Amino acid sequence: MLTMKRLLSILSLSAACAAALFFSQPARSQWWAPSDGRSLPAYVEYANPSGRIGIVNASGAIETKGHPFFEALGRNGRACVSCHQPADGMSVAVASIVKRWHETKGADPLFAAIDGANCPTLPVADAQSHSLLLERGLFRIPLPWPPVDAAGHRITPEFTLEVVRDPTGCNTDRVYGIAGERHEVSVYRRPRPAANLRYVASARFGVTPFIGKTGALALVDPETGKPVNMNMMADAREATLKTQAQSAAHGHLELARALSPKEVDAIRDFELQLYAAQAFSNGAGVLNEPGGPSGLGPQAMAQGSDGVLGNNTTRFVIPMENKWADLPQGQDAADRERNAFRESVQRGHDVFFFRTFWISDAMHINTVGLGNPIKRTCSTCHGMHMTGMDTANGWMDLGTTNHPWALEPAESPWAKKLPELPLFKITCRADLPPHPFLGRTIYTQDPGRALISGKCEDVGAIVIQQFRGLAARAPYFSNGSAGSLREVVDFYDRRFNIRYTEQEKTDLVNFLSVL
Amino acid sequence: MIQRSHRPMMLLALALAPALVIAAPKPGERLSFVSCPIVRDTRSVPCWLSEHAGELYYLTIQSDVSAEVQPPMLGHQVLVEGVVSDAPQICGGVVLKSVRLSVMPERDANCDTMLPADDRYTIDFNPRPPGPSGGRLAFAPDPGAAKPPPKYEGRQTIEIYFDFDKGVSFRHPADLVSVLERARAIGAKSGSVTGMRGAHRLSDGTLLQESPGIAQRRADEVARLLEGAGLNLPLTTYTADGESEADGVEDWRSRRVTVVLEP
Repeated sequence: MLTMKRLLSILSLSAACAAALFFSQPARSQWWAPSDGRSLPAYVEYANPSGRIGIVNASGAIETKGHPFFEALGRNGRACVSCHQPADGMSVAVASIVKRWHETKGADPLFAAIDGANCPTLPVADAQSHSLLLERGLFRIPLPWPPVDAAGHRITPEFTLEVVRDPTGCNTDRVYGIAGERHEVSVYRRPRPAANLRYVASARFGVTPFIGKTGALALVDPETGKPVNMNMMADAREATLKTQAQSAAHGHLELARALSPKEVDAIRDFELQLYAAQAFSNGAGVLNEPGGPSGLGPQAMAQGSDGVLGNNTTRFVIPMENKWADLPQGQDAADRERNAFRESVQRGHDVFFFRTFWISDAMHINTVGLGNPIKRTCSTCHGMHMTGMDTANGWMDLGTTNHPWALEPAESPWAKKLPELPLFKITCRADLPPHPFLGRTIYTQDPGRALISGKCEDVGAIVIQQFRGLAARAPYFSNGSAGSLREVVDFYDRRFNIRYTEQEKTDLVNFLSVL
Repeated sequence: MIQRSHRPMMLLALALAPALVIAAPKPGERLSFVSCPIVRDTRSVPCWLSEHAGELYYLTIQSDVSAEVQPPMLGHQVLVEGVVSDAPQICGGVVLKSVRLSVMPERDANCDTMLPADDRYTIDFNPRPPGPSGGRLAFAPDPGAAKPPPKYEGRQTIEIYFDFDKGVSFRHPADLVSVLERARAIGAKSGSVTGMRGAHRLSDGTLLQESPGIAQRRADEVARLLEGAGLNLPLTTYTADGESEADGVEDWRSRRVTVVLEP
């Protein structure tokens, strides 16, 4: 039996679907400034280089005036929306950041010194001080070192941490450095999309008091005492959307007080009903048309089931039902071009789902009973139905931040580009088992989950991100090291020696661009 | 003179040595050895082998997390325990029954052999293809075969087994949850956690033991996890040494923690 709330939600969603058919033009103003006061409609589209992203408010239009997600609450003038822009799939694209820098001459609160600069000590309004944000879309994430657990108890790490390279100066700073007054380690990460979070926060799959991949204790919801899936943020350090909101308000917004329960509820409720996905592709056309692939478009996200493993041929990660395979030629050149692109998307889906390669030396995938290596596909790791995340406890080391796979500028006397990210040396304790693939000495740009757990085996393990709205929010990977979807594909091709053909790479990029 | 007097013996030894090395393993013979794993690709899923005393043994195939025997890892040696069977060879290897594998923790760069697919070796059973599943885990029980939940009464003894020299891992959430469920069911008032340092009598007679402090570390870790997950009762930790149990018969059982719950 439908509850009134669920019924209203469905009616709102139907309205959003109907609106989608009529309002297929992009919204005029892309950037949302804090305290903007606009209404965020039940359905809205925004342009991006690959087409348009669609945003669905399943509960209906949101009046943002007075809404804590949209209001500047802290002392630096930022709101949540500053870094979670609807036009950018509820993340923030580096192109938008650069545009905002030029429009405001660096005065937008986005560039607040606390984490919008490479280090708070650097001169404000100097582009060099914000180079990581302007070039890679990275915000500084200061974390306590040694780590502390959710109850505030200090954790004794299994490794020592040394700063090998400190291009931002922050990790050796006398205040913000590891040995500084605050005892913080600074890593630099992309903001994750604050949409489709019903999937991200779902506890319907594999949630027990113990983490499925390691057996360690799972985080618990402080309100209910129940374990959570630990799939949020790059390092899974926050248990719930509510604790994340409090932490972000304190850290990113520099809000001196705690958010009120009403404010936290409003942020959580907004995030859980918000969906984002590409709605229109310059190549494939309308993505949410009736009779099309059921997994595409933002309405599909609003209607889909969360907590479902999609790495199987009954649910699929991104259901397409083979609908874009072997399409007719089309009546004219435009038809033929669109159908050819759609067929490429379908082939890209099949590469993602069925093309096997050897997955080797990947911590928390080759170590969970599958063997090393395993002959599998992209969807082995990116298996969550509708999002392409891992289904539960989703951190892995796919090589994005750890040597030898992390992208680094070539070191040579003739190199024009210098390394931008810090480099840490991790030395694991000799009396404990080493990292199974990297041994006891590891070099990393970002120790990832290990900065929270203190575990050697977690060095460089990063929670897998969702695949939706990708076209709206380059660059990719937690450290912004892939500037385009092609670079994402190229990274994996090198990392796992997949040897994709050019056609396979093109098809994969086209597939990713319509999600 | 001495050389001459020994020559017949040496010749005899040389003549026998290859025969000893390549002597076919007898069905029913128990084996316990540490060796590099080998991956052999097939048109379907890869299979896992290991060589010991000149013989190639089949260990398992790739499937998924539901498999009873899960593949080892290249880059590490593997401790193999099993019983030689007379079943037809698989992937070119003698089949071991009741096989138990444990990945050795230290890296070994020599363990890097990957053999290409070879039409002589095919897999005629395939619980799961190399890509997505057909909708269920390879070895998941039939949905209709679900058993009623067990009833727990009285004192409970739960044994939790570990990989060589390793602590709690992906293998253990179900075991730990089982402890919590049993404690709840019997209204446990107290308990004990005994960590054991495993020992193995290998087929060549060598005694292979885990690190000296592993028993205490395992006991402490299990007790801490259970308490952290809400097991609110006094838990006493003990340690034991598995050396006396090491006889080459299922020695993997010595790598364990025993949890006893008292009502």
